[in-house]
Amino acid sequence: MTAATTAPATALPSIDVRDLGVRYDLRLTRRTTLKGSLTSRFRNGASDAATHFWALRHLSFQVPHGESLGVIGPNGAGKSTLLLAMAGILSPSEGSVRLHGRVSTLLTLGAGFEQELSGRDNIDLAAAFLGIDHREMAGLTPSIIEFADIGAFIDAPVKTYSTGMRARLGFSIATAITPDILLLDEVLGTGDEAFRARSKLRIQELVDRAKAIVLVTHDLSYVTEFCNRAILIERGQIIHEGGPEETVRLYQDRTRQHKLLAEAEAHRFAGAIRPAAG
Amino acid sequence: MTRTSSDALAGGMSGVRRRGFVALIAEGVGDLTSRRRLIRYLVGADMKRTHADTVIGQLWWILDPLMQIAVFYVVFTFIFQRSTPDFLLFLFAAILPWKWFSTTLNDAMNSVVSRQSLIRQLPFPKLVLPTSATLAGTVSFAFGLIALAIVFLFYLHRLTYWVLAIPLIAGVQLVFTLAIATALSAANAFYRDVSNVTGHVLRLWFYLSPVLYPTESLDSLPRGVREVLSLNPFSILLTSYRDVIWGSSHGAGHAPEFVGLAVLLLVSVILLGLAIAFFKRVEPAFARIL
Repeated sequence: MTAATTAPATALPSIDVRDLGVRYDLRLTRRTTLKGSLTSRFRNGASDAATHFWALRHLSFQVPHGESLGVIGPNGAGKSTLLLAMAGILSPSEGSVRLHGRVSTLLTLGAGFEQELSGRDNIDLAAAFLGIDHREMAGLTPSIIEFADIGAFIDAPVKTYSTGMRARLGFSIATAITPDILLLDEVLGTGDEAFRARSKLRIQELVDRAKAIVLVTHDLSYVTEFCNRAILIERGQIIHEGGPEETVRLYQDRTRQHKLLAEAEAHRFAGAIRPAAG
Repeated sequence: MTRTSSDALAGGMSGVRRRGFVALIAEGVGDLTSRRRLIRYLVGADMKRTHADTVIGQLWWILDPLMQIAVFYVVFTFIFQRSTPDFLLFLFAAILPWKWFSTTLNDAMNSVVSRQSLIRQLPFPKLVLPTSATLAGTVSFAFGLIALAIVFLFYLHRLTYWVLAIPLIAGVQLVFTLAIATALSAANAFYRDVSNVTGHVLRLWFYLSPVLYPTESLDSLPRGVREVLSLNPFSILLTSYRDVIWGSSHGAGHAPEFVGLAVLLLVSVILLGLAIAFFKRVEPAFARIL
């Protein structure tokens, strides 16, 4: 994980995020109908703040070749949005994200499966969605089938699979390609005990081979164990960037402070209503 | 999950770009040509999905249009007592292409919405979704042509070499359908009302198009109304199909109105350009709103 020193000094950073901003239009979120969107448009007029929400704003950081970056922060801070923006799933509203090399997020654990197609056909379909060359995928297919360990079922339609089989096949496809840049949202565990052990091993393998890693997690011990740098995000902005231990400590301090503040607030509130009630 | 650097976001760079109209179209066409294999797999998956779990499976591709036509035949020969000669062939020539259009629009419209979980997890050119839905509809239309061949066995006296012009007319219809399907699939991602409205518009469109009646029955209408109705793309398309398949009340299949088809093709190509540009313009928002 300390390969940064061996990389040439002039090498480009693997991940280069500059002044990144991701904005959501609240008028268009989830299952809107034309009427709802028009009425909110009339009601709010031109007020931008009421209709738009910046999930991330003015984020800049780099992940040099050989580094592993942990991203921590409270719920709703924008960690997952950041990962989606880096993966190219969300396009930036401001600034830019630049990645050098093949990216993998290991996100699609069977989301794109076609129920009527066989497992083998689904491997081809997934590869086509991922934009992996079909010749390359043809070479990888035997190892995917072997790792998924679903035997003769590979030629049966996916709708006949158990949940575990589906998850195993999804995981084997997701991890078949060795990426240069690995973007992880939490550390994955799928399937039964035996498969979980094997999948952990496979992820460790990918982590070892990746040139750069970004790990988003709530489990702070992973950050200190796997990462050599960390950033703390709150309300869409970087609060701190530094070594994993100090960043985790800062985060813990801040959460403790917030909790104390919240408790004090609750006390005050309780105190305020008690006389009124009595 | 995994993304190669050869992806649409060339070199793994993504940033804020305001792209011009031509650039949007070029990008869209590039999406489709670079992902031909994905489109092919999606069409294949679509074909397997329809009529899966049926006993006779693929045979439904041919039986479906035959049975639909049987229903119309019963209604119109016994109840409404149409006097059109060789009415079954007359109907088939128009119902087959109309069914292609309406089912394709319904499938394509939901193609983006139904893939929302994948869109939120994977970057890929979303334009492949309405395109593959439209192509899958085209394949089932091709199966319908086999049914047409069967029907023709009973009307051999109407068969001429002009039936070979069917692919030409179908080509114009394909461009037109793809344009509408692309635009609607994107609009439906933002407003689900689109699919509701489209259902009713399609029903009205069906009755305003010469599917169940010949174009001549409109002759009694006031001139202004007739002129508006003649602008209906399906007036041109269905009349052309009927010209080459059924012919006229006097005789067998004959040449279609090539000028009308050429104009419709030109309009459809322009519409397709607009639709692709619109789709590419709003595509980045899909992952945020779905």
